[in-house]
Amino acid sequence: MNRLLPVAAWGYALALYGFIFLPVAVLVLFSFQDGRLPIPPFDGPSLKWYSQVWGDRKLMAALGNSLAVAMLSSGVAVALGFLAAWGLARGRLWGTRAMQGLITAPLTVSYLLIGLGLMISFNLSGIGPSLVTVGIGHAVINTPLCFAICFASMGDHQVNIERAARDLGAREWQVLGLVTAPMLMPAILAAFALSVTFSWDEFIIAFLLSRFDVTLPVEIWSLLRSGLNPKTNAAGSVVFLISVAVVLVAEIVVARRRA
Amino acid sequence: MRTILLATVAALAVTGARAAELNALVWCDHTDPALIEPFEKAHGVKVNLKEYEGTGTALSLVEQSRPGDWDVFVIDGIDVPRAIDAGLLAPLPEAELPMADIFPELVMAENHTRDGKTYAVTEKFGYNTISYNKAKVDAAALADVTALWTDEAFEGRIAIYDYYLPVIGLVAMGLGKETAELTADDLPAIREALIAMKRNARSVVDVVSSQTVLATGEVDVLVGGGEWVTAILAAEQPELDWMIPEQGAVRWSQSIGIFADSEKKDLALEFVKYILSPEGQARLATSSCYWAMPANAKAGAVLSDQQKAALRWDDQAEYLKRAQLYPAPDGDLDAAMQDVWTEMLQQ
Amino acid sequence: MSAERAERRRAWAAVAPALVWTCAFFVVPFAIMAAMSLWQRQGREVVRVWDLSNYHAFFSKPHLVGALWNSLEITLAVTAISVALAYPLAWIIAELVPRRFQRLALMLAVLPFWTSYVVRSYAWTLVLAKNGVLNQVLLGMGAIAEPLEISATRTATVIGFVHFFVMLLTLTIYANLLQLPPNYRRAAADLGAGPLRVFWHITLPLTLPGVMVGAFLTFVLCIGDYITPQILGGNSELVLPQVIMLQLGRGADLPMAAALSIVLMAVVTLAWLGCARWLRLERA
Repeated sequence: MNRLLPVAAWGYALALYGFIFLPVAVLVLFSFQDGRLPIPPFDGPSLKWYSQVWGDRKLMAALGNSLAVAMLSSGVAVALGFLAAWGLARGRLWGTRAMQGLITAPLTVSYLLIGLGLMISFNLSGIGPSLVTVGIGHAVINTPLCFAICFASMGDHQVNIERAARDLGAREWQVLGLVTAPMLMPAILAAFALSVTFSWDEFIIAFLLSRFDVTLPVEIWSLLRSGLNPKTNAAGSVVFLISVAVVLVAEIVVARRRA
Repeated sequence: MRTILLATVAALAVTGARAAELNALVWCDHTDPALIEPFEKAHGVKVNLKEYEGTGTALSLVEQSRPGDWDVFVIDGIDVPRAIDAGLLAPLPEAELPMADIFPELVMAENHTRDGKTYAVTEKFGYNTISYNKAKVDAAALADVTALWTDEAFEGRIAIYDYYLPVIGLVAMGLGKETAELTADDLPAIREALIAMKRNARSVVDVVSSQTVLATGEVDVLVGGGEWVTAILAAEQPELDWMIPEQGAVRWSQSIGIFADSEKKDLALEFVKYILSPEGQARLATSSCYWAMPANAKAGAVLSDQQKAALRWDDQAEYLKRAQLYPAPDGDLDAAMQDVWTEMLQQ
Repeated sequence: MSAERAERRRAWAAVAPALVWTCAFFVVPFAIMAAMSLWQRQGREVVRVWDLSNYHAFFSKPHLVGALWNSLEITLAVTAISVALAYPLAWIIAELVPRRFQRLALMLAVLPFWTSYVVRSYAWTLVLAKNGVLNQVLLGMGAIAEPLEISATRTATVIGFVHFFVMLLTLTIYANLLQLPPNYRRAAADLGAGPLRVFWHITLPLTLPGVMVGAFLTFVLCIGDYITPQILGGNSELVLPQVIMLQLGRGADLPMAAALSIVLMAVVTLAWLGCARWLRLERA
């Protein structure tokens, strides 16, 4: 029994890793396909689909749009979430629990419904869809996340340091900007990074709230509707590569800091 | 709250409305850069394209927009009267357009003209009929279109194009009905045939996955397909073909017009003129999303022989005789048809 | 006293932006959507009739109610399968993998997470297509005589979902296992319990609340998702989000889409109440 368990366990783990990696491996492999269809037999390798992705101005514009939306909406979300967490952790305010509940409420609602609600509301107010409305939608879904992360990292010893800073004559904005924020920098950065990845990958809100200028997932969606196509594989592989690079860099930075 | 909402967005959205942009609501064939870029370069403008599938979607997009948001409208020929009724389209200056070069069957004055004014011009047309894999299916087995929902030999081998109007039209013709005269009374029989056909079907697919399911061998027959599915693949996969069954096919056509509340009508007209020119027509006929016949006969001089063969340029006279138009239901019948369609999808 | 009041004022000022933001772009839109679900689309107009006709239409049309059932069936199946697959993997990583490789093992397990969401579903269509990789390999090995017809079926949708949620749940369950105090298990082992009994009587019950939270997360994300069933399901059946998108796209029937969204919301809320109740009972 005791000898069988590890063997079975490693076999299981191997099989599940296989399952997890199967689609990615197929995606990347057939991005080097030479022919028109990304199905076996593999007749590559060829880089022609990558050069097509590179030359696709809509795809490149979408890439830029996605980056801009991710950065700006995450900036808004972190600012709102951080301030709210600071306020709720410091002052013993009336209705703290209710406010916490309100701010984190968007976490429990499907993106589809958030997007639809915003779409209907913007529509009735005569606000046309654009990257700005997409950014607003992404900030809505990411604010609760940033709030939760910042809130969890607030502690009492920070309050004391803030008091000390105030006693030494620091103004309120100086306390917040030069004392609190730097102390909470790891949490703020983590919140920002998570927001960026969520926004970067979000589809349905971006789909419902955009028109001509779209984000990368929406552009890939319209690529994808052109059926099985190695170009979609190439675009997907590029996105994968970018994301993994970002994750690795973050991981290395964290590991360095710890060491 | 609403003022906050408005103020925030208004403040952020001042970057909108640049002068040299044209907003067009189109089917996906217009998004090919090979078609659009020459126009953009010639006029030094940017063309913003929003693609849609199905007139309902387009009208819903227009409804959700402000007046002046849109300039050019590409819409199914059969739905142009609806758009004119809704006051969406502006009259076009016929004298500046190549009206004489449009194939006579495709002028469709009864749809495009009202009180002596022309509101749209046909730009592209083709058929919703049957695409199939010659290597796997004998054309004779498909000659009678009812086989698709009565013959069990097709089980698991067909896919249905996910657009209710042409497929309902095709089924109606199979049942011996005229597409132009469909009423709510015809729907039960159509519903039954659709559901039977769904039982045979592997999947229900949109415009572009239509090509994929045939090209990858997922299915052998595509109901609602036609040259727009297979012509683009003619060179690489000659075994993929299309045919018109005995009962005939549904003819589709796209028309191009200008929105009545467009603020850039002159530029929009230039775009319409470009699309209807022989060069524009040839590029549109062979654009990356789907190929189909151009409406302007002079495009023939620009297309290569190979392209014309794939489009079956020379067979059009006979095909046109055997085709009926899309059904053009009123609001209630349209809703009922969509219900039947959703029900079919849900089977 | 006044210092405390000043502090409280500062706190209000800090919370206010997030509150206003959440109200303006979450609460108000939601209320508007709820209100709109009581309106009706007639012809080309949206009429403010204020009645329940959209809900009535939903419950009286079998193909719409069917979408809700499809959603529930798929979501429950996905949740159960994902938990069942992810738990052992998380356990293996936490127990059998040497400590210094655990982080690497975990990162590998969630690496495909970083492909774009849309692309991941697309990648599965490549794998599952009739002439796709899976069939070609199985046929080549002689494991099957005829290609499996998985693409454009519910199975394909479930596989796509499970793939995503196995990664997510492996992460959350692993985090849970790490938090377990090792003393309990050591004590049980010292008392002569074999590894399976330790697992069954100690580890599993202690991690169950965490697993439930992960399962609830899976439920919410899965039932509200449009992309995966749309790409992998091949329209062979519809789930609720697809029906919502159909109302938007085909008919411009915003009130009906709003009503369907409220139904979806209600289902998620019920699931949440059930989950919260269970957790409270568990703790008591």
